[in-house]
Amino acid sequence: MKRKNIILFLLLMATMTLNTQIIHHGFVRTYLGALTDQDGEYSVLKNTFDWRLDYGKGDVALYVNPVFDYNAMNDYLDISLRQAYMDIYFDNFDLRIGKQQIIWGKADGVFITDVISPRDLSEFILPEFEEIRIGTNAVKFDYYLGNSTFEAVWIPTFKSTILPEETSIWAPEMSYPLLFIDYEYSNIEVENKFSESEIAFKYSYLGSVIDFEMMVAYMWDDNPTMHIFAQPDSTILITSEHHRLPLAGASFSKVVGGAVVRGEGAYYFDKRFAPEEFTPNGVKEKDYVHYLIGYDHNWFGMNVSFQFIQEYILDYEEDIHNNEFSNTMTFLLTEDFLRETLRLEFFSYYGINNEDALLRPKIAYDLADGFEVQLGANIFVGDEGNFGQYNDNDMVYVKVRYDF
Amino acid sequence: MRKLTIILVMVSIITATLIAQEITGLKVVENVYNRPTGNDQTADLTMSLVNSRGDERVRIINQFLKDFGDMEKKIMFFVSPADVYNTSFMNWSYDEVGKDDDQWIYLPALKRVKRISSDSKSDYFMGSDFTYDDLGDRHPSSDTHKLLREEEIDGEMCYVVESTPKEEEYMYSKTITWIVKDKWIGKKKEFYDEDDELLKTLTVKESVTLKDVIVITISEMHNVQSDHKTIMKLENVQVNTGVSDNKFTERMMKRGM
Repeated sequence: MKRKNIILFLLLMATMTLNTQIIHHGFVRTYLGALTDQDGEYSVLKNTFDWRLDYGKGDVALYVNPVFDYNAMNDYLDISLRQAYMDIYFDNFDLRIGKQQIIWGKADGVFITDVISPRDLSEFILPEFEEIRIGTNAVKFDYYLGNSTFEAVWIPTFKSTILPEETSIWAPEMSYPLLFIDYEYSNIEVENKFSESEIAFKYSYLGSVIDFEMMVAYMWDDNPTMHIFAQPDSTILITSEHHRLPLAGASFSKVVGGAVVRGEGAYYFDKRFAPEEFTPNGVKEKDYVHYLIGYDHNWFGMNVSFQFIQEYILDYEEDIHNNEFSNTMTFLLTEDFLRETLRLEFFSYYGINNEDALLRPKIAYDLADGFEVQLGANIFVGDEGNFGQYNDNDMVYVKVRYDF
Repeated sequence: MRKLTIILVMVSIITATLIAQEITGLKVVENVYNRPTGNDQTADLTMSLVNSRGDERVRIINQFLKDFGDMEKKIMFFVSPADVYNTSFMNWSYDEVGKDDDQWIYLPALKRVKRISSDSKSDYFMGSDFTYDDLGDRHPSSDTHKLLREEEIDGEMCYVVESTPKEEEYMYSKTITWIVKDKWIGKKKEFYDEDDELLKTLTVKESVTLKDVIVITISEMHNVQSDHKTIMKLENVQVNTGVSDNKFTERMMKRGM
C-alpha cells in the first residue's frame, strides 16, 4: 500500500507541475454484477477511476493512463498503468516508446492477427476490450508513405495473458480429475533478455478501393501450453510452458453494395496443443490456421454485423485435445434512439461445435452528455465449450459511468 | 458616340434579359454546387442541440477540408462531449456521379481505424437535426429541379427552387431552397417528409467572405414536427492556408489534432 501511495503522490506532483499544459480526461465508473443462478450473489462490485493525461510540446507528446480499481468485494485498491508512453513525431515517421496497447486486424471481438498486446482474461472476455488488452512495453516505429504505413514493433520483455485464478468462477474447466494432478510451473517464466524479445512487422494501406494489412511476427504464445505426462504412481503431471509462435497474416475491409465486408486470417507455425493421450514431450506441435469473414450493414436504421470464425489444425491427430475444426459465429445488433441518448445492443458468440453461446444484451442511456447508465446481462448457453462451461455464471449488471 | 452608347446599353439589356430567361432550376443548383469554396478550410464547429423544453446539449468538433480536384477530403476530430473525445471521422467524397463516399471512424477505445459504409446517409449526425446527407454536397443530377419564383429575403433577392429526388426511397419527398442571386449561396431550405409535410427548415443566419470565398458561419436547422433545433456555428475559420495532404490519413485519425 505504501508503494501505491508513493505512485499516487508522484502522479499528483507531476500533474501539478505540468498542470497548465496537461489535458485531463477519463472516467469514473461504478460496476455491480450479480449471478442469477446463485441467488443473486455479487460477482463484481467495483469502482474505477480511469485517468488519461496528455501532454504535448512540439514534436513530442506524452500519454499516461493510470487506473485505480477499488474492489469492494475484498476491500482492495489496485493501481496500475494501462499505458504510459512517449511519442516522437518526424515528417514521415513516428516513434512510440513505452507501455502501450497495440491493436492490429479488422476483426471485432476476436484475436487473429491482433496478437501484440496480451489479454487480461481474469474475468473471461466480459470487460470492455480496452480493459482486456494489457499494455506491453514496446518500441513502435511507423513510417508513412502516402496512404501506406510500415510498422515495426519490438517488445523487449514478454508478458503473458492473465488467466483466471483457480478459485475464480472464470477458471476454465479441466479435462482431468483434479485429485490426480500435480502441477509444475518452473518453466512458465520467459527470461528477460534480448534473445527472448518479440518482433513484429506490418504493412497497411487505407484507400478508396480497399483497406488491407499484412503482417509477420515472431512472438511467444501468450497462453501457456499444458504439457501432460503420466507419472509412475499413475497420477498426472501437468507442466505449463510458453513457446515461440511465429505467424503471418493479413486482413482487409471493403465496401460492397453498401455493406462492409471484412476478412482476417493468420497462419501460425508449430503451435503447441495439449494431447489427450500421453506423449514423450507431453505436447503436439502443429501448424494452425485462424481466419474470419465479417459483414457489417445498416438495415432500417439498425447496425447489423455478422462474423464467421474458423480455427483449423493442420495435419491433425485424433488425440489432440482441441477439435480439428472449431467454428464460431458472432452477431451484433445496435440501434440508437432518442437522438443517440438511448442505445440498444445485442452481441453474441455462438460456438458451432459445442452448440454453446454467450448472449450479451445491453441497454445504455445518457442521463446527460458523458453520464451514462448501462443495464445488461451475460447469458451462457450450453453445457461445454468456450461458453457453455460457464453455464452457472449467468449474470446481470449495472454500470454507471461519468466521462470527464 | 451617343448612338454607340445607346446601342451598347441596349445590347447589355437584351443579353441580361436572355440570360435571365435561360436560367433554370437546374442551372441555379449547378451554380451553387460549383461555387468556389476554396482549396482548403479549417474551422472549429460547435453544434448546439436544443429540444422543445429549451434544454441544450453541445458538441464541439475541429474540422479540416481540402479539395483534391475530383474529390474532397474531410477530417473531423471530436472534442466534446467527453465520452467521444479523440474520436475522429474521415470522409472522401467524389465528383463522379453515383460514386459513394468513403468513410472511416477512429474510436480511441478500440484504437483502430474502421471503415464504415456511407449507405446510411439518412442517419442523424451526432443526435443533431442534420443528417449525413444534409451535411454533404448533394450532386445536382440526383434531383429534378424546378425554378418556382424569385423572392426577397432579408433584403436579398433569391431564386426559389424546388428539388424532387429521382431516387424513390429518398428520405425527403422534396426540398425547396432559397438561393441568393449572384452569390449562389443558400439562404433558406425547407425539407418535406414522405407525406409531403414540412419536416425541417434550415436557415442561414450568418456568412462571411474570406479570400473571396463565402463561408456560412451560423446556420440553424429546425425540425418543426418535433420542435427540436440544431444551431451550427463555425469559428476560427481559415481558408486557403495550404492544409497538408497528409492531414487526411490514417496517421492523423489516430494521432488527433
